[in-house]
Amino acid sequence: MRRSGGAPLLLTLAAVLLLLLGALELPVSLLRVGTAGLGAAVLLLAGLWKRSQERREAAFANRVCETLDALAAGREPENYRPYEDSQLSKVQGRLLQYQDRTQEGRRQSEADKQTVQELVSDISHQIKTPMSNIRMFTDILSQQELPPERRTEFLATLSSQVQKLDFLMQALLKMSRLETGTFALHMENASLYDTIAQAVSGVLAAADRKRIPIDVDCGSGETLPHDPKWTAEALGNLLDNAVKYTPEGGHIRICVRPWQFYTRIDVADTGIGIPPEHDNDVFKRFYRMPSSGPEEGVGLGLYLAREIITRQKGYLTLKSEVGRGSVFSVFLLR
Amino acid sequence: MDAAVVQNLKKYFGRGPLQVKAVDGIDLSIEKGRFTAIAGASGSGKTTLLNLIGGLYPPTEGTVLVDGVNLGALREEERTVFRRRKIGFVFQGCGLVPELTVRENILLPLALDKSRPDAVFWEELTGLLGLTEKLDCFPSMLSGGGQQCTAIARALITRPSIILADEPTGNFDIKTSQNVAGLLKMTVDVFHQTLVVITHNPELAQLADRVVRLKDGRIVQ
Repeated sequence: MRRSGGAPLLLTLAAVLLLLLGALELPVSLLRVGTAGLGAAVLLLAGLWKRSQERREAAFANRVCETLDALAAGREPENYRPYEDSQLSKVQGRLLQYQDRTQEGRRQSEADKQTVQELVSDISHQIKTPMSNIRMFTDILSQQELPPERRTEFLATLSSQVQKLDFLMQALLKMSRLETGTFALHMENASLYDTIAQAVSGVLAAADRKRIPIDVDCGSGETLPHDPKWTAEALGNLLDNAVKYTPEGGHIRICVRPWQFYTRIDVADTGIGIPPEHDNDVFKRFYRMPSSGPEEGVGLGLYLAREIITRQKGYLTLKSEVGRGSVFSVFLLR
Repeated sequence: MDAAVVQNLKKYFGRGPLQVKAVDGIDLSIEKGRFTAIAGASGSGKTTLLNLIGGLYPPTEGTVLVDGVNLGALREEERTVFRRRKIGFVFQGCGLVPELTVRENILLPLALDKSRPDAVFWEELTGLLGLTEKLDCFPSMLSGGGQQCTAIARALITRPSIILADEPTGNFDIKTSQNVAGLLKMTVDVFHQTLVVITHNPELAQLADRVVRLKDGRIVQ
């Protein structure tokens, strides 16, 4: 539909013609007839112009209605030509964008359902091994004829399986809260130093046992809008990973650098490193590198870390070299 | 529906023994709302593929469907209108108009379409990219990162079906590059946009939902 300036143009034309007739100094009667004729012509043209406008508007409205009908019925509109430089295709484009966004909401809801199903399946799979071990050792221990030293040994194994189950349940609980969106971020302009200190405190004992010093290069006055609790959890997971895969006598360094848009927090270790082909995989749920060896873990730490950082509109990257170590970089919006 | 589908796509330059097969039989689907990175060495056909998806070149053979529309079946002027409404571009060199302010640069695709942005979307977009205070500045008054943020906002302003970015961090130092990479990823996530990025930068590729690797004009992974 195009809005035309037809009516004002006609009136101007009529006015100019009247002035011209006046200037020609024609007899009054002829002038009257001329004026009446001209007036009639103008009225006729204006009527025709109005009719044509109404027809155009009706055609436009009909086409928009056809589009709406098609969208309501879940069909692609037949008369949509996104490459046409017309008002109709512009309006149709917006309607399709609207439909796309509503469908996105539905797709997201379907994806959430799927996630919950996968989560239940993953949880059942992961708890199967420690649960069957616990059952087995409980059965063995219930036998009265076991010698005391064997009983103590089995009790220790049983206890370690319970611990593993507990660790797994805690991790799965956090993951399910993240995945199902039932966790809420509490963003505040808090001290980054305190958040890092909280994360470090969780791995200090393990790092001490392996004689791995943890250096922190972060100004104590550095503040940043973030969720301190969840960010400490994410950094803690990166540090836990660093401690696990760094040999005794190695080194871990945390370095904070405020940039233009983001604050960058590097967690660097001198560990075994990650081959480049695993760059994207290590952040996947339950992914463990073949070279993970005997180190405990279920492949949730890095996945959780990335989720937590992404939810805060930040991001997490990895730079690593096999045999030399890894640098996980957390980027948080300033 | 996929945002873009490429079928048996070929683009050859020149003829005879000097002919260069820049893209040599690619089949690819770009899923809606996902971030796809196209990686590969120089000369592997990345930029040619992106330009073909964006309808900037006609293919030698094969089809490119964006939002279900076969770009090869359109006349040049139709392709121009389609690109303006349905495809957002972010180039390595930002591609801003130096005589226009940041606001005018961002609104340019809408101005060409005689449209206006939704006020809430405008506030959110410029706020996320840190441009609220810089809207009346000229590009030359902004840092490289700020200029690329303007280019990202311009690509997003029409809420296109697909955003194509050719080495968006390629011209920058490591700091700016990582700043821009993060902002690009974050904005497309927030607005559920489809993004295809060509990159040499492994850290940018890590942010993608899917990485497609090219070699000699073909997909190798």
